[in-house]
Amino acid sequence: MKCEWVRENITLQVYGELADDARHELEQHIARCADCATELKVEQEFHALLSQERAAEPTANLLAASRMKLQEALETAEPGGFWRRLTFDPANWLRQVRFSPTLASAILILGFAGGLGTSYKVFGHPASGVATGTAPAATESSITGIQSVTQEPGTNQIAIKYDTVSTLETQGSLNDQRIQQLLLFAARNNYNSGVRMDSVDLLTKKPDVSQVRDALIYALRYDTNPGVRLKALDGLGGFVKDDVHVRDAVLEALVNDSNPGVRTEALRWIEPVKADGSVRGVLMTLAAKDQSQYIKSQARTMLAQLPEID
Amino acid sequence: MEKVSGIRDPTRGRMAGQERRIDDTILIREAQRGNRGAFEELVRHYDQAVLRLALHLTGTEHDAQDVYQDAFLKAYKNIGSFRFECSFYTWIYRIVTNLCLDHLRKKTVRKEDAPVVKDGSGGEYDLLDQVPDGRAGANPERDLMRRQLGARISGALEKLTPRERMVFELKHYHGLKLRTVGEILHTTEETAKNTLFRATQKLRGQLADMR
Repeated sequence: MKCEWVRENITLQVYGELADDARHELEQHIARCADCATELKVEQEFHALLSQERAAEPTANLLAASRMKLQEALETAEPGGFWRRLTFDPANWLRQVRFSPTLASAILILGFAGGLGTSYKVFGHPASGVATGTAPAATESSITGIQSVTQEPGTNQIAIKYDTVSTLETQGSLNDQRIQQLLLFAARNNYNSGVRMDSVDLLTKKPDVSQVRDALIYALRYDTNPGVRLKALDGLGGFVKDDVHVRDAVLEALVNDSNPGVRTEALRWIEPVKADGSVRGVLMTLAAKDQSQYIKSQARTMLAQLPEID
Repeated sequence: MEKVSGIRDPTRGRMAGQERRIDDTILIREAQRGNRGAFEELVRHYDQAVLRLALHLTGTEHDAQDVYQDAFLKAYKNIGSFRFECSFYTWIYRIVTNLCLDHLRKKTVRKEDAPVVKDGSGGEYDLLDQVPDGRAGANPERDLMRRQLGARISGALEKLTPRERMVFELKHYHGLKLRTVGEILHTTEETAKNTLFRATQKLRGQLADMR
């Protein structure tokens, strides 16, 4: 009679979402109906199969980094507190007046008149149609994305296509502040990993600039593409000795990076500072219990080369 | 202090929930008066669950971090308009799920970039293929099977519509009641039930050969 009803509700039964009376009815039916009993078994097995794959818990590092980033952002954000309710909110006001046809018509007419006035001005002073040479300096907030980064072969000229309201192109050398600013933006924010890779690659040629080093550290820590992380690591490697932030980032990559290639490269870069206390501690941990046999044996070799500490 | 060992007090969980709610109410009121410390305390009550949800739905730490940041910034900017009509838990989950739904919708349009690079002759190859994986676990066979299962499940989940994926995620991985899921997604419990049914049917179809 109600096999169909039972089959529609078996999922809810497995997830404990059936009301008591419905659950009782379903159990009664299953005790009598072999087909529905099989269906319940199949659903339970499927549920168990899916439950083998658990949602990964965020690592302590990720949680800490997220909290820090949020705290920084909250410093500059405006809270929506009590006083905000008393201030004039044009969007809210417009929502309220949208049902008032007379007022809405008045706003429409006003807007139309304003539009006419504006277009009159535009026709009066025609703007040059094509931007030639250099584009105006872009602020970070006006950039919506980086389209491409290319370098002229054999020259130090870099061409970057980036989007604001419309796509613009700018050119200059790596020493050009605008070019650096765009590369830094692309390294952190672009969706396209190829553009991130090109930007990070170019930035590695200027690792002595502290902003660049920060961007490379960011890429090493957070970029989802292992190729970009490797490039960032190559750019930072030379500063492992002198810059403690770089050293920490490289050690973090050595311990936590999901890619074995990045970890192996990180291990190579910390070789010159293996006697440092923090590095020695990391090496001891890796030598004792790292999952990769290669990393484990390399860490042991490096530790064996160090003088004994009494 | 009284110590109760081995006996589980059935009212304890409910009371803890009530205490948390009272606690949240005080913090929300403080945050509405502009106390940033109170808001940060509120964040710490929920941020692990938020990050876990974002991580599983977006698939990358970078995107999860973006969703986390956007969600709490949005909550901070709009805390003044919070009217205690629902719990803060439902409210923050509503913000997060909306951001994740946007992300999932965009993801269906823009496929994630594979780490592909060009070699000297201009041919493309996957960078990850060039890196030897030296991190096999103690039982490589089981490890491989587990990874294969994970990949199949992830693939099947990605074929669900963003809304089906969200309902399934909140129910299966986060154990929320469908009534709460409905509240979060601005829909009825009945619709959430139907969506869960559709999602599991689709998943069963996708993973039929794995049973």
